[in-house]
Amino acid sequence: MIKSILKFFSVTFISISLTIISTVASAEITINWPSIWVGKDSKTTVIRELVDEFNAANAGAIKVVIEEQTDYDIYAQKLTAQISTGDLPDVFTVGADLLDILHRSGKAMDLAPHVGSDSHWNNVYPENALQSNMMGGQLTALPYELFVTPVTYNKKLLKAAGYDEFPATYDEFFKMCEAVTATGKVCTSQMTGKNAWTSMLWFSQVVASAGGPGVYERGLDDPAWVQAFEVMEKMYMYTTSDAIGADAGVSGGHFLNERTAVFMNGPWFIARYTSDGIPGLHANIGVAPAPMLTGGKGAPGGYVGGRQSSLAAGKQSDPAKEEAVVKFLKWLTTPENVARLSYSSGAMFIVKADLPSDMDRLFIEMNEQKGNAPYVAPTFSNGIASLPISKEFPQALSALAIGDVTPEGAVEMLKDAE
Amino acid sequence: MKLKKDEVVWLLIFISPAICLFFLFFILPILFLFVTSFTNWDGIGAEFVGLENYSKLLNKKSFIRAITNNLYWCVTAALITVPLALIVALLLAHRSRGWKVFRTVLFIPQVVSSAAIAMLWAAMFNAEYGLVNFLLEIIGFSDFEKYNWLGNVRTANAALIGFSLCYVGYFMVIMLAKTAGISDDYYDAANIDGATQFQKDVYITAPLIKSTFFLCIILAVIFNLRQFEYVYLMTAGGPANKTQVLVVYIWNELSVQRLGRGNAAGVIMICIGAALLLILRKLLKSETYN
Repeated sequence: MIKSILKFFSVTFISISLTIISTVASAEITINWPSIWVGKDSKTTVIRELVDEFNAANAGAIKVVIEEQTDYDIYAQKLTAQISTGDLPDVFTVGADLLDILHRSGKAMDLAPHVGSDSHWNNVYPENALQSNMMGGQLTALPYELFVTPVTYNKKLLKAAGYDEFPATYDEFFKMCEAVTATGKVCTSQMTGKNAWTSMLWFSQVVASAGGPGVYERGLDDPAWVQAFEVMEKMYMYTTSDAIGADAGVSGGHFLNERTAVFMNGPWFIARYTSDGIPGLHANIGVAPAPMLTGGKGAPGGYVGGRQSSLAAGKQSDPAKEEAVVKFLKWLTTPENVARLSYSSGAMFIVKADLPSDMDRLFIEMNEQKGNAPYVAPTFSNGIASLPISKEFPQALSALAIGDVTPEGAVEMLKDAE
Repeated sequence: MKLKKDEVVWLLIFISPAICLFFLFFILPILFLFVTSFTNWDGIGAEFVGLENYSKLLNKKSFIRAITNNLYWCVTAALITVPLALIVALLLAHRSRGWKVFRTVLFIPQVVSSAAIAMLWAAMFNAEYGLVNFLLEIIGFSDFEKYNWLGNVRTANAALIGFSLCYVGYFMVIMLAKTAGISDDYYDAANIDGATQFQKDVYITAPLIKSTFFLCIILAVIFNLRQFEYVYLMTAGGPANKTQVLVVYIWNELSVQRLGRGNAAGVIMICIGAALLLILRKLLKSETYN
């Protein structure tokens, strides 16, 4: 009998203790963040540090949990589905191409009231930066990462081909490619897999060079599109044999291993020249604006770039959680933290941050060239503002590269996608 | 057999959970798919557009290409994979020394993630450092140096369909299991008549597992009609949409928020699947033995 009574009290005590523990534990707000800044991404280390520091400073009250999203393309597709279903993550990054549908979904947290009630964001963002992301009086995403996409080239490989400077026109560029090929190296890194990212950036440069920065307003009937595909067709004569179907890892990998001489990507790739490139690669890299198309409407030194990622949050029904999410977004946008991110990765941000004087040489060169650029045209995927056309681009490009269609046919494929 | 009234009641009670689940997770989504296929649903709003989605799809070269590629996958599976599995099953049915090892090795692809297999094959076919080109060069085919199997229109589909061979083990195991149930009396009688092993395979084993062979063909056609992961991971339908298949096409439509058109493609896919199964049922009227 005594044993039974003891057992009963023991079980009751344990149950009550567990209930109390779980109640205390549940008081902590968990914020889920499916982050693309993980794995090989150049921002991984500092993002992890920032999250750990935030969690430590808010121990027991808020905990940010990173869900690793290692594939950018899959992440974008998943986010698109989540916008449709309304099942948005607590915090997430969103590309410019999804901003419109995110706003229309009405499922994202409106950050405008928080901007109005606190001076933080008005202080850290340049004038009009937040207003440019406003839609219908709502701010569904905070502009965050910026990018420019100059040409990066391997000075050592170009020198071996007889070139000290990067060519200023495409005619000279293709002559240089001939010379690089003669040395046994491959001229450019290209890809048609997934969203054809690095080739899409090249294409954006050529389109802007052919039709000027306003080419997107004139639509796909503008002759600049055919001219741009003509250049891309040539570009694929001077690339690696696995370019058709290759993804960004393959395209970047060739440049990092000095198999190719010319590459195009954003400033976030700067850190990888050191971390993943062959020894001494970083010191050999030069930065230049893309060549000009003779007779084109663009201007020498023109750049391509824009807004890469914006920070956004899913609508919350719990005001405490909404406050926690806002607190975390403020943490990510403090000038000090943005400077750390920029310093470690080479990425550019719209937040006003005092960058250290010893920023990476390539970052400084890109920034200077961007400052001197007559224009910064949007990338093709941002400028064309059509998901179906962006999605069809890799297929049109691969069709062109394998000779299945002419440049005119490639433009028709894009038109047909809409 | 005529059921009594109370038996019917109990029957309905027992089958109702299954029917409810079937209705909820199968019939209802198909009805939803069908209804939304007549709209321009983009995940946020929808308007009725009649047959516009269907007419646009049927006028798209890439969609027609996806249908023909799917049929190509199905025919290859029915004419190569399953007959190959039958041959292997007949050979293993002899229970020769080491047959269990061979059976296990052939079945291994079924227990490995298809994503892992797809990545492995993509690496093997890589133009710069792939094993396939390396081996071809070793045996003297220097023309294949840096040949992009998955990036060339002539070879992309064939290289992808090499995957069908991964299914050989699956169908082989099904047919092998059937051979285990064949009575030894048939073989004893054949032995008395002096039949060779080949004659026993062709005139006894093969006819007695015919129904299972037909079942495997139907399964193979179904599997290949909904082919997705290998194509998506290895070529994403490229180059130039030449390796496009229906499910990847639908996925692409959904990922650009054209949910209504994607659902219309889904309805067409269901119709093609139903038509194929009806044709197969007519063609493969199976016989069983007692």
